[in-house]
Amino acid sequence: MIIGFDVICLCLILLCAILALYIKDLMGAVIVFGAYSFLMCIVWACNAAIDVAFTEAAVGAGVGTVFLVSTVYSTTRVDSFKKNRFITQLLMFFVVCIVGSLLLLTVTDLPEWGDGNAPANAHLSSYYLENSIDDTHVPNVVTSVLADYRGFDTMLETCVVFIAFIAIFAILRVRKSRTNNDETSKIFELLVPSYQKVDSVIIKTASHLMIPFMQLFALYVVAHGHYSPGGGFQGGVILGASLILLAISYDFKKSLNYLSEKKVILLVALGVLIYAGIGVICLFLGGNFLDYSVLSKILPATDSIMARSHAMLGVEIGVALTVMVSMYGIYLCLSSNGRFDKGL
Amino acid sequence: MDYILNHFNYIIVVIIMMLGLWGMLSLSNLVKKLISMAIFQTGIILFYISMGAKKGSSIPIIKQAYDDHHHPIHQTINHIDYANPLTQILMLTAIVVGVATLGLGLALTQRVYSEHKSLNEDEILESLS
Amino acid sequence: MIDQAPALIVVIPLLAALFITVIGVYKPRLSWILTVLTFVITSIFTIITLKQVVVIGPVYYMFGNWPAPFGIEFVIDHLNALIIAMISIVALLVAIYSKHDVKKELGDKIPHFYSLFTLLVTGLLGITMTGDAFNLYVLLEVSALTSYALLALSKGRAYIATFNYLIMGTIGACFYLLGVGYLLINTGSLNMADIATIINANTYSYAVLAAFLFIMIGMWTKMALFPLHGWLPNVYTYAPTSTSCLLAPLMTKVSVYVMLRMMTSVFNYDYIFNVLQWQQVIVALAVLAILAGSILAFRQDNLKRMLTYLIVAEIGYMVGGAWLGNVNGFTGASYHIIADGFMTLCLFLAIGCIIYKIGDSSLASMKGIFKKMPLTMVGFLIGAFSMIGIPPTCGFFSKWYLLSGAYEAGAWPFFVALLVSSLVNAILFFRIIEVGYFHALPEEEPNHNHPKHKRDEAPLSMIIPLLTTAGLLIGIGIYTADIVTYLIRPFINTFL
Repeated sequence: MIIGFDVICLCLILLCAILALYIKDLMGAVIVFGAYSFLMCIVWACNAAIDVAFTEAAVGAGVGTVFLVSTVYSTTRVDSFKKNRFITQLLMFFVVCIVGSLLLLTVTDLPEWGDGNAPANAHLSSYYLENSIDDTHVPNVVTSVLADYRGFDTMLETCVVFIAFIAIFAILRVRKSRTNNDETSKIFELLVPSYQKVDSVIIKTASHLMIPFMQLFALYVVAHGHYSPGGGFQGGVILGASLILLAISYDFKKSLNYLSEKKVILLVALGVLIYAGIGVICLFLGGNFLDYSVLSKILPATDSIMARSHAMLGVEIGVALTVMVSMYGIYLCLSSNGRFDKGL
Repeated sequence: MDYILNHFNYIIVVIIMMLGLWGMLSLSNLVKKLISMAIFQTGIILFYISMGAKKGSSIPIIKQAYDDHHHPIHQTINHIDYANPLTQILMLTAIVVGVATLGLGLALTQRVYSEHKSLNEDEILESLS
Repeated sequence: MIDQAPALIVVIPLLAALFITVIGVYKPRLSWILTVLTFVITSIFTIITLKQVVVIGPVYYMFGNWPAPFGIEFVIDHLNALIIAMISIVALLVAIYSKHDVKKELGDKIPHFYSLFTLLVTGLLGITMTGDAFNLYVLLEVSALTSYALLALSKGRAYIATFNYLIMGTIGACFYLLGVGYLLINTGSLNMADIATIINANTYSYAVLAAFLFIMIGMWTKMALFPLHGWLPNVYTYAPTSTSCLLAPLMTKVSVYVMLRMMTSVFNYDYIFNVLQWQQVIVALAVLAILAGSILAFRQDNLKRMLTYLIVAEIGYMVGGAWLGNVNGFTGASYHIIADGFMTLCLFLAIGCIIYKIGDSSLASMKGIFKKMPLTMVGFLIGAFSMIGIPPTCGFFSKWYLLSGAYEAGAWPFFVALLVSSLVNAILFFRIIEVGYFHALPEEEPNHNHPKHKRDEAPLSMIIPLLTTAGLLIGIGIYTADIVTYLIRPFINTFL
């Protein structure tokens, strides 16, 4: 809401974006991209999109950067191959300029930034703001729209996370017995930059102390999403980050002891199942899919409006479970190149 | 000047998106392509969030008053006081979809690297032909 | 239960995918039978819905029981009832077909393959039915992510091809999202019917133009219309056979349907054909797509790769037909979605059988194939005839509608391109028939008892789906009049 601050942040973002594309060293580019995401999350907080900022901080700047770093680690950070792409780049520059100028042309038609009565702010969103409390008893409108009015979207979004995990697992996972027989992967092992595992007591102790608090905070974020910023996605990512921290500071063996490969697959599916299952229960109780109000028939001492509120909590738990476990699972796959032996 | 300031977000949106699009189409390194993809996506997210901002509004959590029995008191809510929740929800979805795509892209990148020993598109194409 | 059918069509495969994943950890063998069972049930529900739509008209389903613009709505009208029936039947046939093929190609990744397979179909069914512009984006990403994964399950060059597809697919999806953003900023709504009523009341501005343009470019990227088609051939050629059998008939056609859906239920005839007047340009692009697809197909000596270029040409048919702007063109485009879906499926299944037995799909290895695999080649021939446009098959009728549409609109280049494409298809397929029928089998194994006349068919679970598809091609052709009168015309009447 502070225009000057917004403008400064946006200029910095532009700088970071250019740098991220310009820097030759991949690790550098990835780190600059992390800074870009973090600045982006400040801009969103400026625009009063606190839930989005929260998600971006956890997902974009946090886990996304971890994924990128793991990939750069398990491949290569230098790209020495040189070929003149000048003509392609110039051609694409013209294409992009045409699209961009068309977009700039439309900017004149757009309502001013921050206009509360612009069409985008009037029709649906004003209904949500004015009726969320009456319809669902949830003050955080973002949660009520996310989990109830547009609950079907969110179920599919959880599904997307599930798909991403299953897809990455299916693409990258290699069984140990097979790897040892495979000649090429042995050569490949030599190509991967070798690094010494530093067995640091400080890191271990620090993460040991941090992890319980991270998880406690994450549970708060999940459970308190009705009243404060946060919800299943944010909480789930923080929970996932705590597991990733465990895997980074110790080793895979320790973290896999807590949450083995089999359990990861089962829990990822279980999360989506909780969400879809609540929807199916609604079907059996005679309502439409995801019509939580009919749940009042089986939940004790709730009217149909409170039933929506309770069901949203159940749904958020499902989301958190899937997101937590899949973020952890994706990290395991990406950082060990699918071998599940050692990570960053 | 006033006009530019009032539409500043949209102008930055266009520049960021075009930067990302250019990167995706013309950079040769696969990781760089994925970074450009993420930049392109954040550009669109910024577009949505900018359209949902309202001057002088608060975050979209309704200030609820309760009576002595913890029952909410009915109150009229003016939507101008709160930022647009709809665009925020859409973008929560878009961010999560974005990171899912990024993860999948990175998994493919690792497989490409173990197959061709390179992250450079030109080098890979050269080794294939 | 009947009034819950629209939700069940999506929810059943989704839940099944979860169960397949979980059960796959313990008993990978069960995943095939579960997938087949899922699609049997889904197909039954889609056919029930189709019947219901024909009898009582469009079906609306509100998720969470929220009224239309506030919640997410599924709208099943005459055309998409037909398309979901096609999608679920294609999925069922490919699921049955994939049993042996997957065992051979994928090994221990079978449960992942089937769970991604079911989720992909979930996404496609959802895209077709949804009446909410943003929900469509999420479903688009569901189907896109699953398709990247399914394509990358193969080895070698598939990875880099899929990576390029991922980049192009994301550009397409992001453009679509940007278009939806422009719709939202103009109208404040996401429900397609709601947007349509608000836009009609407005004057048309640059912002609406941008919305339309970006949604269209997004969809054209996704469907691989001519200048944006670069990713398609590599992706489908290097993919596992079962994956390409599933993706080739469905992915591009569903994108074409989304284009039709956006043209009809968000924007309207007057805006597209009278205000914008782009039809000349788009039809010219379609002509280029048809010619380029045909010419490039001509240069391939690998059958699978040749077919991928024919898909590029077929996309030109549908886009061109839809942009002719008259009843026959639109009928042809809508009908061709169904016809081309089954045609492509038939040919890809046949090629899959050949690859399964011979291990290769180059033209040289087709020698004596008719003697070796007669049933497969019967299926292949019917598919080929339909592609060329020989009467009892449905390919003929879609071409007939497209040609008469082109004639009415006076779009002669499109008319000629359709004929040229038929001719090229005829030459291509007769070349295969020539090699397969008249050239003798290579005698590599002299020790073998009857190397020349030995029949060596693919297993029954592959042949039966192939012959069913071939039968469907003829069946749809015979019932063309009914399909057009009861399903496609009522849909077009709401638009034109």
